[in-house]
Amino acid sequence: MTELVVWLNTVANACAEYALAPLAFLPGWLSATLVAIVTGILMLLIFKYTSNQVSIKQVRNGIRANLLALSLFQDNISVSLRCQARVLVGACRLFLLAVVPMLVMTVPMCLLLAQMALWYQARPLHVDEEAVLTAFFADNSNEIPEVQLEAASGGEVKIGPVRVPSKHMVCWSVWAQEDGCHRLSLRIGKQTFEKEFTVGEGFARVSLRRPAWNWFDVLLHPRETPFSQDSIVRAIEIDYPSRHGWASGSGFWLIYWFVVSMVVAFCVRPWFNVNI
Amino acid sequence: MAKSNSYSIGRRKFLKGAAAAAIGGGVVAGGSYWLGSIRRVSRSVAKKVIIIGVDGMDPGLCGEMMKQGLLPNLAKISAAGGFSNLGTSIPPQSPVAWANFINGAGPGSHGIFDFIHRHPQSPRAPFYSAAETIPGEGAWEIGDHRLQLDFFPFNHKPPKTVLRRQGIPFWDYLDKAGISSTFYDLPSNYPASPSEYGNHRCLCGMGTPDMRGSYGTYQYFSEDGPLKTVDDGGGTRTRLAFFGDSAIAQLVGPENSMLKVPQPVTVEFEVHRDTLSNAALIEIQGEKILLKPGTWSRWLRVDFGLSTPTPLPNKRVHGICRFYLQEVSPNFRLYVTPVNVDPSDPAIQISEPSDFVEGISEQLGLFYTTGFQEDHKARSNGVFTDDEFLKQATMVLDERLALLEYALNDYDDGLLFFYFSSSDLQSHIFWWNGDAPHPTRSAAEARKYFGHIQHLYRQLDAVIGDLNDRYGGKATIFVMSDHGFANFGRQFNLNSWLRDYGYLNPHNCSSILVDGNWSRTRAYGLGINGLYLNLKGREREGIVEPGEEQEKLTKQLIARLQAVRDYNGEKVIRHVYQTDEVYSGNATELAPDLIIGYAPGYRASWTTCLGDLTPEVLMDNDSAWSADHCADALDVPGVLYCNQKIRTKQPNLTDLAPSILAEFGLPTPNSMSGRSIFTS
Repeated sequence: MTELVVWLNTVANACAEYALAPLAFLPGWLSATLVAIVTGILMLLIFKYTSNQVSIKQVRNGIRANLLALSLFQDNISVSLRCQARVLVGACRLFLLAVVPMLVMTVPMCLLLAQMALWYQARPLHVDEEAVLTAFFADNSNEIPEVQLEAASGGEVKIGPVRVPSKHMVCWSVWAQEDGCHRLSLRIGKQTFEKEFTVGEGFARVSLRRPAWNWFDVLLHPRETPFSQDSIVRAIEIDYPSRHGWASGSGFWLIYWFVVSMVVAFCVRPWFNVNI
Repeated sequence: MAKSNSYSIGRRKFLKGAAAAAIGGGVVAGGSYWLGSIRRVSRSVAKKVIIIGVDGMDPGLCGEMMKQGLLPNLAKISAAGGFSNLGTSIPPQSPVAWANFINGAGPGSHGIFDFIHRHPQSPRAPFYSAAETIPGEGAWEIGDHRLQLDFFPFNHKPPKTVLRRQGIPFWDYLDKAGISSTFYDLPSNYPASPSEYGNHRCLCGMGTPDMRGSYGTYQYFSEDGPLKTVDDGGGTRTRLAFFGDSAIAQLVGPENSMLKVPQPVTVEFEVHRDTLSNAALIEIQGEKILLKPGTWSRWLRVDFGLSTPTPLPNKRVHGICRFYLQEVSPNFRLYVTPVNVDPSDPAIQISEPSDFVEGISEQLGLFYTTGFQEDHKARSNGVFTDDEFLKQATMVLDERLALLEYALNDYDDGLLFFYFSSSDLQSHIFWWNGDAPHPTRSAAEARKYFGHIQHLYRQLDAVIGDLNDRYGGKATIFVMSDHGFANFGRQFNLNSWLRDYGYLNPHNCSSILVDGNWSRTRAYGLGINGLYLNLKGREREGIVEPGEEQEKLTKQLIARLQAVRDYNGEKVIRHVYQTDEVYSGNATELAPDLIIGYAPGYRASWTTCLGDLTPEVLMDNDSAWSADHCADALDVPGVLYCNQKIRTKQPNLTDLAPSILAEFGLPTPNSMSGRSIFTS
């Protein structure tokens, strides 16, 4: 499973490299809106071609007819109850008819959201800012090995290592010094473990974590290749600062994307002749 | 025809002229707009008045330093306008003095006479003079909780904090006249008085509480601390027990007043230390902070969940704090600032309008919001060394300088007031002027730390110089302080003195609040400068008959107090003021009967302020707080610089409000007793 996710991430990274490149130059609200509009339309088209449109239309007509009957025969309890039951059944059928397209969309949407998270979930460090880098070690290692963090040209190790044996982790404070996407190296004996380190203003892809060999971790952090299953270092993460903004801020971009893409999909539905 | 031609040419000329004027005007406006951005000044042409309030700036030291050429910018303003002593309040305490400034009138108008007041009917329960929390009424009790619902049909009254300063603040007159006024860190104005017409903005200063409702309570964790948390007054000490190299501690936040028995809300945090690398990791609410000894963390937002009855969701409030690691081993020591109100999402209103502070925070991020920002309590309680206090105070000053830059960038016209606390709270710790021996420092040390005060004055001079360069020709600039400074080497316990003369009983009384015998007590001291008679009809258990007995006792007390001498023959009290002679106004209900004006070098003892007695009457002041201004008002005047000619011979704090109104063309209202400094 993890291997499959790694492969999917490779494809997604390659596609996003070009498709999401304009995000680096656009204002956050605009890029978040454009991505939501495009994905809203794409979701609608996927829905159209992966769902049974004829059945959906029939079910929707049936629901409409029953709603009409409800308003016409509201004095007749037995008819009202029967209509309500049919509306409920119709809604359930609509849900079932949406399962296939939703299943089809799950994988690309997860990959897309993971790519978007790279842009919006955190911002790069500014020059002179500090962040904590944490290396997680395998739970089965009894002791934390002798470990050294070598900063790249863009950063400097300010404090550390602080070893926390109870949590199998070691922390450093890294000081950003130069704009760019740098690599930090962790040396344990002759082995080297690398982690991307992004410094700059504006929008750039920020990889919060180089993941462990775990499909879910890999899915959430697609930018860097995961550590192998038998690696002594399980994962390395950097606490980048949160990004602020109502459309592209850390806590908001996902909600914004969801709402805007849904609204767009509903608005353009008539033009694409899609039954939802 | 000729006429017609001349008319035609005239019109053309007129149109050409108008076009040229419009273009010229546009060029001038564009140029000044461009120049405005280059010179970082407001582009508005309306009237501007800027006041820099430098708490505790001393005119004596300013004068000396100006003579030595060390304050060139203040000297420049002085040459352009004037420099003078500024008469302070009686007593010269900051809340009283700033309220004088605000009302343009003395304490009789605003009702603030000391940091501490008492109700005559409950003298054992003193309270902070500038604000009071009024308990709520009615509640709905569910389980362990007690909810106060202020809507129909419950209509409970939740507790609220009210500003006790009375009278009309001068900005109300500006507000009414449509003149904008903006105040940053204004003392004696928490909670902020409302703006009726929307032209007034204010960020509250001195008096603003932290999230615990105190005036700043730091938390100190150490391996050698007491097992049970100890309250040191202004801070707490707690033992940190390490298992391996990790420990768990509790950060104490606001009290949950929705509980029947209100309890403080705590947030757990973990501390991991690495003795090899001499550093520590702190984990709190998902955030990691790495610190080396001597380093500060950035501001951290801490989320406190106030429990509510099930199934209601917990109410969440935010506070901010910073961690300071002092030592990793052998004795791990960690200081945490008071949990300040989060300026980006304030749990209580700390500005007027309430979103004013949020706007500032959007630009500046997080910053100190408590009234007392320099943690003098941590220094007095021995948690900070002098150098650590200096570092923390410098951090506060840096934050405030960033706030000043914001304030100037945000300023168009009207009144701008900006307050610096550094000069006051740093002076309390580092001031030592003259040759008298310092009670705790060697002469060399005393000189070294006094040098920091001089350095601070030079820093502020540079700040004022920048302001003068930007606004000197466009605005009336006042630089003023509420009082000056004096050494505080010896402390006088007023209550012990009253006991020794038989005015306060019993003779073995330890505190008037605890075991004072009111039926045998004729006078008592409370607060820093206040002395109260136990007057019949006014005090709950008063025994001094108003009229002749009162007068006789007053005269006797004044004579005896003014005759007090120290072991070396030094006069301890310079003057005792009768408040019915020096105060006028409608707000004198809580005024003391006498105000003690201590001679330079002396002040009320630490214990007497809250009614405690000591065996000795006069003692050395061995506190780190080695300078003060709660002396005789004549000995600690404030300072006034203005870039306009000062025409009054002896300006007073109460004269500034009328002067500001005069600058905006408004008359001096009847509520003010001061007069404009610009009229001789």
